[in-house]
Amino acid sequence: MIKIIIIALSALYLPCSMALEPLGEEELQQVLGQGGVYLSGDITINEAGGPLNVETDTSNPGVWKDSCTTSSTNVRCGARIAVNAGDGDSSGWLVLDNIRGRFSFEGMTLTTRTINSGFDNNFDPTNTAHDPNDAEYGEDGVAFNRDVLEIGLPYTIKYSNVSFTLANSNFARPTDTEVNSQGQVIAEFAQTDILSVKIDGDVSLRGNLLLFPTGNP
Amino acid sequence: MKAKISQSLILIVFSVSNSCLALKALDDASLSAVQAQSGLTIEQSQLLNIGSLSYTDDGNDLAIEGLRLSSQNDVNGVASRTYKMDVSADGSLKVETDIKPTQMHIDAIRIKNSVASFGDFTLNYEAVTNFSVKGMSSGGLEGNFTAGVSNADLIWKTNGHAMSFDNIGYNASIDNFTLEYDAIDNTKGFIRTGLEIGMDNFDFYFSSGALSLAGVSLGELAGELALSANVQIFGGGRSAIGVETEGLTFHSQVSILSDPGNYVRFTDDNNSLLMGDFSGAINLTNLTLDVESDHLAIGFDQLDGSFNAGKILIGDSTKPVGSIELDFLLNDGLVNNRFQLSPGITRPDFNAMPDQIKNYAISFYSGLLIPAGQPNAGQPNLAAEGLSIASQWNLANAELSYIDDGRRVVFSGIQSSGSANTTIDVRDEKLAIGISDSKGSYSIDGLRVGSKTAPLQGGAELLLSLEVFQAMDFDIDGFTEITAGGATGGGIRIDGDYFFSNSNIGLSIDENGKGIWATGVNYDIHLRDITFDVESDGVKINRGEQWSTMDIANLRWGDKAGGRSLGRIKLERFEQNSSLAIIPGGAGEVCVGANASSESACGSGGGRWEDRGEQGMTVSLKAAFADAGATTDGSAIARNRLTWENNRDINPAGDEVKGTQIVFNNFSTNDGTGSDGENSSNDYGFKANLSIDVFETKVLKKTADAQDDTVYELLYDDNSNPVFDEITYVASSIVEANTSDGEALRARRPLGFAVKGNILFKELEIESVQLVHTNAPAAPQTVFYGVVMQNFNLTTNLTATPIQ
Repeated sequence: MIKIIIIALSALYLPCSMALEPLGEEELQQVLGQGGVYLSGDITINEAGGPLNVETDTSNPGVWKDSCTTSSTNVRCGARIAVNAGDGDSSGWLVLDNIRGRFSFEGMTLTTRTINSGFDNNFDPTNTAHDPNDAEYGEDGVAFNRDVLEIGLPYTIKYSNVSFTLANSNFARPTDTEVNSQGQVIAEFAQTDILSVKIDGDVSLRGNLLLFPTGNP
Repeated sequence: MKAKISQSLILIVFSVSNSCLALKALDDASLSAVQAQSGLTIEQSQLLNIGSLSYTDDGNDLAIEGLRLSSQNDVNGVASRTYKMDVSADGSLKVETDIKPTQMHIDAIRIKNSVASFGDFTLNYEAVTNFSVKGMSSGGLEGNFTAGVSNADLIWKTNGHAMSFDNIGYNASIDNFTLEYDAIDNTKGFIRTGLEIGMDNFDFYFSSGALSLAGVSLGELAGELALSANVQIFGGGRSAIGVETEGLTFHSQVSILSDPGNYVRFTDDNNSLLMGDFSGAINLTNLTLDVESDHLAIGFDQLDGSFNAGKILIGDSTKPVGSIELDFLLNDGLVNNRFQLSPGITRPDFNAMPDQIKNYAISFYSGLLIPAGQPNAGQPNLAAEGLSIASQWNLANAELSYIDDGRRVVFSGIQSSGSANTTIDVRDEKLAIGISDSKGSYSIDGLRVGSKTAPLQGGAELLLSLEVFQAMDFDIDGFTEITAGGATGGGIRIDGDYFFSNSNIGLSIDENGKGIWATGVNYDIHLRDITFDVESDGVKINRGEQWSTMDIANLRWGDKAGGRSLGRIKLERFEQNSSLAIIPGGAGEVCVGANASSESACGSGGGRWEDRGEQGMTVSLKAAFADAGATTDGSAIARNRLTWENNRDINPAGDEVKGTQIVFNNFSTNDGTGSDGENSSNDYGFKANLSIDVFETKVLKKTADAQDDTVYELLYDDNSNPVFDEITYVASSIVEANTSDGEALRARRPLGFAVKGNILFKELEIESVQLVHTNAPAAPQTVFYGVVMQNFNLTTNLTATPIQ
C-alpha cells in the first residue's frame, strides 16, 4: 500500500523536479505570474428588486410584494441583513436595510506568489530609485519569505446608485410578530432607521492587499 | 471481445484459404465443364449445447460454460440460418448469410474453475451479412464486408438480476479489408511475426432502443462512426515473456475519419445529449491479453492520440455548446496501465477502511451474503456473480481544448496516475458499482488561451465554480447504486456514499505545485435520490438529499507539505431538493457597467456592450440548505455549519491540541418566513445561474507611475498565436473608440472567461455565530444570536482573464 502511495507521489513529483532545471531568459519571460486571474466587470445588488418582491410568486409574504424598478423608492426593494448581537430573544436587531446599487471595476487581480525579497526597511521617500543594490534593500523580504494571496486592487471602483439604510428593529424579519399562548399578536414588527446612505461616483483603490496565514501547524 | 473476433477471423481465413487452394487445382478442361453456376446454398438448422468451451493460456483456462445456440422462442428448438456461396468473375468468394432469430446464451464464464463467475449472458439477434474475399497477389487475403444486425437484445445477469440493452440495431461495412501474415514486432527485445489486418473505411451504425434495469429505461444510445484501421496480432502475452509464452498481443493504429455525420447520442424521453463531427487518430501499442490463475489480465504500453468532437448538443438542438479537442498520452511510467478482471465480487477489507465509510461499505455488500436458512448463512457468498477489476493507470499528459465561437481555451498539462479496486454487479433493479482503495493524484498545469502553443498561464482555478479542483492527491472509497428512471419517465437515479481520506486539494496553484492547498482533507459525501434527466432545454440533475462534511486539516499557502496554515476549516452541508441544470448557450449580448438592453443605450450609460456569441454554457444551481435534523434514512444527524479553528498546537506526544474555533452554526435557506414554524417552506433555496463564455477581455496595465493618468490596455500583436513578448499597450480610449481602428484593436484583446452570474435567495439564516475556546469546548460563547439575510438579487458581469 505504502509502495503504491510512494509510486503515485513520485509520479506527481517527476514533472516538478524536471521543471526545476535552469530556464533560459526567453522561457523565464513566459512563466511569469503563473496561477492567477484578472477580474473586471460589475456587481449589481437588487437593481430591479429581489426574489421576495416578485408579485406573481404567491409564496412571497405580502409586505415584500412590489413591482420594483431601478427608480423604486420602496425600502423593501433592497436586500436586508439583520444581526442579533445582543442576548437572543430579548434583544433587538441591528439592520442593514434596502441595500442596492452597482459596483463596477476594471483590473482586480487574484494571484498567489512568494515574497522573499524587496521591502526597503530603510525607506527614503526622496530616493525614488529604490536602488535594489542598496545594502538594506530586500532585507525585510528575505526575512518575510512567505507565500501570499495577493489581491491586486482595481484602480477605480465606480459606484452607481449605491444605497443602504442602517436601522434597529425588534424582529429579524418585517413579517415577524410576537404572539402569546392564545395566539394573539402582542407585538408587531417595528423598525427605527438611523441613517441612510446613497453613493454615486468613483473610488480610487491602488496597491495590493496581501493575505497570508501565520498559523502553525 | 477482440480476442473472440480475432479467433473467428483466423478460422474464417483458414477455411477460405483452403477454398482458394481447391480452386487452383481445377484445370481449364474441368472449368469449361462447369457451367451455369449459381453458387451453393446451405440451409442450416442447429441446436448447439456446449458444456464448456475453454481458452487456455499458459495452463490457465478461461471457461465459457453452458454455451447454447438455439431458437429465440424455444431454447430447445433449432436456430436457422442460410449460407449462399458464390465465386465471382474476379476470383473472389462471396458468402451471404441470413441468420433467423437466434439466441446465444452463456451460463457462466469462469477462470481456472473459480467458484464465482462473471455472470450469465444472453444475446438475441437476427442478421444478414455479406462477405467477399479473394487472394492478394502479394500473398494474404482481401475483401469487403457488410453486416446488418436487427431486433437484438443483450442481457447481463448476476445473481438472478438483469441489465439489458434492448432492441439493438447494428449495421457495419468495410469497403476493403486485408489479412496478411507479415506483421513484424520487435518491441519486446525479440522478433516475432504476426497477422496484419487492414480496414479501409470501416463504417458502422448502432442503436439501442433502451438500456434497461428491471424493465425501466436508463435511456437510449445510438451512434455512427467511420474508421480506417490497421491491427497487428501476435502470439504471446505480457506475463513472464520467455517462460510463459501464450497469450495475445495487439498493436493498432486507428484514424477516425472526419465526417460531420459521425455522432454518439444518448436519448432520455425524446431529449438528447449528442456529440458528433468526430475526427482524430488513436494508436495503441502492446495491448496484451493473458489468462492468469484467477483473473484476465489486460494491459497496454502506450495509448496516445487525439479525439476531436466538432459538435456538442445538450438537449436543445438549436444551441450548440461549442467543440472540444483532446490530445492524450497514457503510457507506462512509475505506474503502468493494467487491468485485472476477476470473476465474482472481491469484497474490500472492511477493517482497513476509515470509520466514516466502513458501515456504508458493509451495508453495500450485505446483499451478497449467504441467505438465511442456508449453510454458513450470513457469511460472504464466494459464488456471488459479478465483475471485479483491479486497475492502475498513468495519464502522462493530456491537453483539452474547449472552443466557443472560434475562441480556444486549453486546459494544459493534465496528468493523473493511481490505482483502484472496482466491483460491478446487478442487484435488485440496480447496477451496483463499488470503488475501494482508489489512491492516486491528478493535476492541471494551467491554461493556454488562443492556441495550443500559447504560453502556459494561470487561471485553472476558474473551474472551482464548477467544483472541479486544479489538483488532488486522493484516497477514495465510494459505493454507488444506479437505478433506472429519472425525475420523470426514463433517466438515471443515483444513490451513493463516498469518502475522501487524508486528501490534498490544490485550489489555486501554479505548474510547480505552489499556491493554496487544502491538505489532510477528510471529505464524506452522501447522495440520495439524485436523478439525471435530459430535457428539451438542457440536462437537469435533481439532488433529492445530500449531506457531507469536508474537514480540511490545514488550508496552506505555498507548498502542500510545508506551507503555513490558515488553520482547520470544516464545512458541513445538508441539502434537500437541490438541483443543478446545465443549459446550452452562454450569456449572448450583455451590457457591462450599466443597465441597458441595446448597444447605444449601454454606451451612453457608461457601460460596455459585449456580444458573447451563440455558443457557451449556462449552469443553473439551486441549493436548498436544510435546517439541522435527521437524514431521511436516519443514518445521520446533518446540518449546515462552517467552522474555522486556529491557534492549535502540538503537544509533546505529537498530538494536535485543539485551538479556538469560530462557528457559523446551522445556516439554512427558506422562503422568507423563517426556518421555524408551520409556515416555513424551502422551495426557492440559494440560486446561482452562471453563463460562461470564452471571450475577449479588457485587461488594463497596472502602471507603477502614479503621475500617468492615461489608462493603457494590454493587446496581443497577433491574437491567433499570442506569446508573452508579443504584446502592446494602447491607450484604452483609443481601443474603446467606436471606429474601425478601435474595432480592429478590440479583436486583439486577450481571451478569458466571461461569466454572467445571478445569485438569488429569499432568505439565508444563520442560527448563531459562536466562539469555542480550547478549555471550554462544551460552553461556546455566542457572538451573534442570529443573522438573517433576505431578498438578495446579485447580478455580476465578470470577465476573468488568466494572468500571464
